[in-house]
Amino acid sequence: MAAALRAVRRWGLVAAAPPGLAFTRSAFVVKKANNAQPNWLGVGLAFSTSAALWAFLIKEYNEDVMEYERRKQERRHKCTGCS
Amino acid sequence: MVFLPDESRSLPPPPLLNKGSAWLGFAGWMSALIDNAYNQRPIFRAGVHRQVLFATLGWFVGYQLVKRAEYKHAKVDRELFEYIRHHPVDFHAAAG
Repeated sequence: MAAALRAVRRWGLVAAAPPGLAFTRSAFVVKKANNAQPNWLGVGLAFSTSAALWAFLIKEYNEDVMEYERRKQERRHKCTGCS
Repeated sequence: MVFLPDESRSLPPPPLLNKGSAWLGFAGWMSALIDNAYNQRPIFRAGVHRQVLFATLGWFVGYQLVKRAEYKHAKVDRELFEYIRHHPVDFHAAAG
């Protein structure tokens, strides 16, 4: 952090706006994240989104299996000669 | 360009647990763990909701990609066998 401060002074840059997409946040521009208090909204949204995605995936798989079996039956009735 | 054309449903669907979905699910989980590491949180015990969400997203995307890949491969195989069927002269068995 001290090195960054020296660099800023040397090149006369000004930390005007917070970085657009920072993987981690600079202490200069953002207040300290409090990991002790859970962000319950975020937690709820994350779990419910995961549950919804799993439900959708399992439903899609089961529907695909049924559709495949149905088409297989259809094909068998139409022409038994071709492979 | 459709991601999964209708005729892909004539193929047997890949199992829910397959190489693509497992690998991308693992990659998603890893990125949640790495995010924990970069933000100096306990790696495994922190942000379990995040780990679950990233792993689920990876699994889902992996499954869709495998479905599309299997469709593409089946399509190429079908065209190959059609070609062989239409040009028997070129594909006489080991005698040639």
